[in-house]
Amino acid sequence: MQQLYDTLTQRFSLGEFTRQRADLAFITVEAVRLHALLRHLRDQEGFTHLVLLTAVDWLEDGQFQLTYLINNRAKCQDLGLRVMIARDNASMESIHDLWAAAATYQRELREMFGIDFPGSPRLMDDFILEGWNAAPPYRRDFDTLEYSRATYRERPGRETRDPAAHMKQQLYGDKGDV
Amino acid sequence: MSISDVLSPFTAWKNLFRDPVTIKDPLNERPGAARYRGFHKNDMDKCIGCGTCETICQNGAIDMLPVEGIPAVQGDSGLRPRIDYGRCCWCALCVDVCMTGSLTMSNEYKWVESDPDLFRFTPGVDKKYWDNAELGYQRHDEKHLMPVAREEMPELHPEARLDSFVEIVQGYNIEQAKLEADRCVSCGLCIATCPAHMAIPDYIKAVRDGDYERGVQLLYETNPFSQVCGRVCTHCCEDSCAARHEGDPIAIRWLKRHIIDQVPQEKVIELIGKPAAPTGKKVAIIGAGPAGLTAAFDLARLGHAVTVYEAQAAGGGMTRYGIPEYRLPYNALDRDIAVITAMGVEIKYNQRVGTDITMQQLEADYDAVVLAIGLHQGRSTRIPGSDHPQVRKAVDLLRQITAGETIDVPKSMVVIGGGNVAMDIARSMARLQLQHYGEIRVTLTALEDKAHFLADPVEIKESLEEQINILDSRGPQACVIDDNGKLLGLKTWKVLSIFDAERRFAPKYDPADEQIHEGEMIVEAIGQMADVSLLGDALTEKLEWNRGRIQIDPNGRTSENWLWSAGDCVKGPDVINAVADGHRVATSIHRALTPQEATA
Amino acid sequence: MFELDRSQYPQKKADGTLDIDLTSGKYLKLWQGPQHPGITGNMAIELTVCGDEVVDATTHVGYLHRGFEKLMERRTFMQCFPIVCRICVPEPDFNEYCYAAAVEELAGLEIPELAHWIRTLILEMGRVNSYLMYLGGQAGAFGQGVIGQWTTYVRDLMLDRFEELTGARIYHMFIIPGGVRDNLPDGFAGRMEETLREIESVLADVDRVMFHNAVFKKRAVGVGVIDTAWLDSYGITGPNARAAGVAKDVRKDQPYLVYPELEFEAVTGKDSDIYTRADVRRRDLLLSLDLIRQILSRLPKTGAVMTKLPNVLHWKIPRGETYVRGECSRGEYGYYLVTDGSGYPRRVNVRGPSYTHSIALFERMVINANISDVAALLVSLHTYPPEIER
Repeated sequence: MQQLYDTLTQRFSLGEFTRQRADLAFITVEAVRLHALLRHLRDQEGFTHLVLLTAVDWLEDGQFQLTYLINNRAKCQDLGLRVMIARDNASMESIHDLWAAAATYQRELREMFGIDFPGSPRLMDDFILEGWNAAPPYRRDFDTLEYSRATYRERPGRETRDPAAHMKQQLYGDKGDV
Repeated sequence: MSISDVLSPFTAWKNLFRDPVTIKDPLNERPGAARYRGFHKNDMDKCIGCGTCETICQNGAIDMLPVEGIPAVQGDSGLRPRIDYGRCCWCALCVDVCMTGSLTMSNEYKWVESDPDLFRFTPGVDKKYWDNAELGYQRHDEKHLMPVAREEMPELHPEARLDSFVEIVQGYNIEQAKLEADRCVSCGLCIATCPAHMAIPDYIKAVRDGDYERGVQLLYETNPFSQVCGRVCTHCCEDSCAARHEGDPIAIRWLKRHIIDQVPQEKVIELIGKPAAPTGKKVAIIGAGPAGLTAAFDLARLGHAVTVYEAQAAGGGMTRYGIPEYRLPYNALDRDIAVITAMGVEIKYNQRVGTDITMQQLEADYDAVVLAIGLHQGRSTRIPGSDHPQVRKAVDLLRQITAGETIDVPKSMVVIGGGNVAMDIARSMARLQLQHYGEIRVTLTALEDKAHFLADPVEIKESLEEQINILDSRGPQACVIDDNGKLLGLKTWKVLSIFDAERRFAPKYDPADEQIHEGEMIVEAIGQMADVSLLGDALTEKLEWNRGRIQIDPNGRTSENWLWSAGDCVKGPDVINAVADGHRVATSIHRALTPQEATA
Repeated sequence: MFELDRSQYPQKKADGTLDIDLTSGKYLKLWQGPQHPGITGNMAIELTVCGDEVVDATTHVGYLHRGFEKLMERRTFMQCFPIVCRICVPEPDFNEYCYAAAVEELAGLEIPELAHWIRTLILEMGRVNSYLMYLGGQAGAFGQGVIGQWTTYVRDLMLDRFEELTGARIYHMFIIPGGVRDNLPDGFAGRMEETLREIESVLADVDRVMFHNAVFKKRAVGVGVIDTAWLDSYGITGPNARAAGVAKDVRKDQPYLVYPELEFEAVTGKDSDIYTRADVRRRDLLLSLDLIRQILSRLPKTGAVMTKLPNVLHWKIPRGETYVRGECSRGEYGYYLVTDGSGYPRRVNVRGPSYTHSIALFERMVINANISDVAALLVSLHTYPPEIER
């Protein structure tokens, strides 16, 4: 994988390289260079299989990480391309022209993370969340617990005690001056 | 496609003559497999209500609730898990994680009710027909979801430690402490057992997080003697630790020491922050031991002016003059005391109340007085010959060693007693013998048999490592003195029983089994009492007493409303109890000194 | 009568969109699912038909969305373990394996040899179950209900084996981060052998009644052909790719667990139609039976099944990311796990093979198919909706 990275750096400006396993590495790439790099990897380097495309929300850094995982079956290699994009008004170039299946991934990312992929087919169609009006739910600042508390009713009859607090109350709680 | 493709499907007709493969009566003929994860069982005798099952349940299916007839006691919260089967996913992580092995699963899966609320019940309390099922999910023999063995504490080997008073326990390094802290399940059962109710799970979490400054703040919330308690606390908390049931209890004491060891003293003072604004009230405290200084610390932080009167040349009381340096180095104690004096507490050393200043004077000069004089007078066996000058009290000898006084070290000696003080003096003298004569000849005789020794097991183990000759079930009968008045040794009889039928102290001996233990010196280490002579006759007369101890109310106040008493002298010997007592009287005094409208 | 070259149909406008005027009366919108016997699980297909020919199709999912990936972000690494299996009902074990392996990799844990063997055994047992269910479904799509009854019977026997090994029938919760929960019970290999024989006997019947069946051949041969050129474009893996003649099998391509030590070849076909895909799966099922026999005859009899874990209540894993895959009955199953040094996963993304198969691929394949073939076509892709929407 290091060899591949060395070859690629001669043609592309690449970011951090992380070797995760002998057959899996991650490379950070600038958003503007991704499409050309993917095309090169697909057509010249044998990474013909798009394994997945997903996002990671680094809320505290104000960034989304898009991970394009591609596979070279002949060489048994997986390569993850990490693209960091701004979280506000997140938008990224579509790759549905490289892999038809990418349109589905991009549709899901639009729905779940609110990332725009201009030109991607049926991008704005509801995918999983038909009729969803709240914030994109896979963003880190969407609180599932709070949502479920606000949306669903707790079944009555549930209560619990903290062992330490219960023991304090039973055994030695401050009873004031006695 | 061929003709056979048309005919071949007709072979299905052969099934016309087969018996059905379905189970005719599945409710009765189909028990769950031996490992089946079915309805829960809980062994009420083993469950300690630690709530770890609730913590790990990712469905939120478990509630911890009190159960009639199961009170909260030390080491058992009295709560029991109630399971909501509307949420349970039968993953059995609660069984895997259970700290006692009480929670298990039967292989029973058939249960029909029309009321859905019945599927929320407390296994073991609400009786079910599968409570005695033998089969069901078994956790693998090894407990996998957390380490069960304690991180080993680095200690000096006997050869390396025996010729000096260097501290034996080396303390955890950061990596070891993290591993040990990792084992804690944060159930908090220990908090109730700790007399000072320290925030144990929280400060252990601080160790896990490497946040020692937070750790120090947590320690000082409940205990200004973390150096001391981190080393010599009786750590009864560890007896309540949930981890002890299927492994070693968490080394709570050592982790406390680890926290305080990581933060420099100046930083500690900075972290605690400045005391409150002065209130103008004055409090005198007699005795600079853990009880007195804890009260002093609390009162000073609340803004009261505190003066401590200490008869000895240094503070710490019994922790300095009773506990040998190899267990508690003086500089560790000094650090604790320095933080307390940094809060504005004034300690007057070498000031013996009763001699240098009277109680009447203190009563007149201060708004409140605390008597925290500890137990510094050794008890005597009163056996024949015990008035010989070479028959000594352990507390006196230990005090002399700490004070650096020259001691006429005997070549051989006998210690009477089987408690920690006996071990302390035996091991201290053994060190001195080795320094003076190159060999150790210390015999220790105890009334109790080995199984009922009063000393900590670790003390006994280390004493044996240090070549102390420990003899159990020996009752002292006389100090053997020759015609020239020279002490030769101790005569003992075999102990048959110590207590009578009413559990009163009434030892019975077998005179036929008599031994003489050689010793140029005999040390009595059978208990201590308070020296209350400082009170003076008038005050002694006025105060109410209870079996030789000053009578106090639950807040530590005596029958005289200006006088409180705390620590060993009223509660018996124990550092952490003394600290707790110090807090108690400080709270009571603060209430008494603060105008009512302010507290209302 | 249809024009001969159906590939020219439906016609497209200049901008590439379909030239379909729904108000013309020539077209009909037809919903297949979510309640339809020919639908695999909870999903729906919105068909636009002209006569009985499909001219447009949209896959609708989301009927089973439980947000697992998000739920895991607020569960500790051990608390995620009981929920992952629920992402895929008929073959849950790949979730357990991929999740456990990803966690172990990022936490730097080595698991014992015996655990590797037992994990492989479980995955193959799960594959058998999944294929048995598929065979019943595929036959059912053509109206052959009896095949489903037979395969469900033998699948039930395999569930019995699961039950005695793992303590549960459907959601096994057995492949736990750190290893597996226990060794095989006494006498397991013998009872497994009986089960395998029963399955083989039923499969022989299935072969006669389903595969050597004029009706089945008439309906399945030459229908639903996947072009090899589509494989990469649509991310096609597993039997769908192997039936097209490409020996894509993670067990061979990137061997994991103990697959390097087992003797087998990837099962392939060449006609890439519904019949071939069914046949590839039938033969792959027979291969799994063989693999189970190989594993049971060779796995170590004793040894640790789990490695020592830190206290799982506050288990933190250093920052990192990885992808772990396995070959499930439908193709490449994988977990992409990102950790940030805390006690919770930062992000988990589950790659289920149905994700591309039942949306991008299916929507393309179904064009120009007859309505009566839609169900069989969808089943022949062997899709499970829960792994699409997670």
